[in-house]
Amino acid sequence: MAARVLSTQEMKIASEDDVVLVRRAVRALAERRGFDSFASAALTTAVTELGRNIWVHARSGMAIIEELEDGLRPGVRVEFKDLGPGIPDIDWAMAGGNSTASSLGLGLSGTKRLVDDFQLQSEVGRGTSVRITKWKRF
Amino acid sequence: MNKLGITEQELASRRAYFQLTDGDLTRLAALRPFAERHNDAIVDAFYQELILKHAESRLFFTDQATLQRAVAAQKRYFLELFSGVADLSYMENRLRVGTTHQRIGVAPKWYLGAYAHYLRLISDRLLAEQGPSAETQEKLRSLQKIIFFDMAIAIETYIAAGLDALARHQAAIRELSTPVIQLYERVLLLPLIGTIDTARAMQVMENVLMRVVERQAKVIILDIAGVPVVDTRVANHLLQTTEAVRLLGASTVLTGISPQVAQTMVQLGVDLSKMHTRASLEEGLELALGLTGRSIRVKEA
Repeated sequence: MAARVLSTQEMKIASEDDVVLVRRAVRALAERRGFDSFASAALTTAVTELGRNIWVHARSGMAIIEELEDGLRPGVRVEFKDLGPGIPDIDWAMAGGNSTASSLGLGLSGTKRLVDDFQLQSEVGRGTSVRITKWKRF
Repeated sequence: MNKLGITEQELASRRAYFQLTDGDLTRLAALRPFAERHNDAIVDAFYQELILKHAESRLFFTDQATLQRAVAAQKRYFLELFSGVADLSYMENRLRVGTTHQRIGVAPKWYLGAYAHYLRLISDRLLAEQGPSAETQEKLRSLQKIIFFDMAIAIETYIAAGLDALARHQAAIRELSTPVIQLYERVLLLPLIGTIDTARAMQVMENVLMRVVERQAKVIILDIAGVPVVDTRVANHLLQTTEAVRLLGASTVLTGISPQVAQTMVQLGVDLSKMHTRASLEEGLELALGLTGRSIRVKEA
């Protein structure tokens, strides 16, 4: 993808409150770039989902928020990185209905449906990186 | 101490980072007689030239007794730089003094300025007394190291105090929850406002269950119009609350669902079929009344 990165913002995630701050930053960016309310809601929900994943499983991580532009189309890309336990079976985790945190187990599979692009990389004992992209709809 | 994670390991890592070796500490201990000779003059000069000349800092010393106590304490404090130890109790001591300064309102600039001034004054005197040899340079270096080591601790006491205040505010915010309201006989309403984190979710659930039993409610309306994001965790809390409420013989109506939240919940794959849902509180109230054998009738003209 030949998208340009217009700005980058890194934010730490070391508490549930940090997740709220990341969510607010992403919402502000989406609003500034003119995302409609449904796209904005989907994006902020995805961000909350993945940010809370870091808190629950790894306790510490980073969110890297990028403002994108593909031709004239604005987009938002967020990467969630942690040095946590990693995901042993990615397919199982993405299957839906499976949870390691007494939750619904829909977080990852659900989030994938909320965004346009979803990239997950994980290594047991090394950490996890989830990168989501959402483009403005016209 | 624990908040700053001060353990033997942290201390060792800090000393390594500031390159404060046993050799430095030995050198400082050997300098103690020198320090004792000059300490009084330096601290007195520090107060005369710096503290009492600035209106802001002068405010702290409104009477002679306070001034004398502070001067004596400061003299003791600076002599400890030459104690020859930098162990956990040394750190604890520095932290305690730092916390006191922060508590009585001494701004970081005064605390750090004092160190800068002291370093300058004592370095001058050391060079004057012992001449600019390689040995003196080494001693100066040891002195600088321990002063910077101390300053890091001083800065962190201010940060720790800030974190403390923050934690207190967060606790206060968490307590800003809405009460469970009785709308009608056996019909309760809980408007949820703000972000529902894990701590809050538990509080909310327990509150709801207590009230349901207390008021013998048949229906509880949970309004989420004020909740900015409903992710799978919030949805899970709502489902768990609904299930617990069901065990108590009551049912749950979820209201205040915006079109955006409705769509994201469907996309996430959340199944809310175990609870009644309505877009608005108005519709939710109508349903709740219906569930308790009542209806709203328009008055005849």
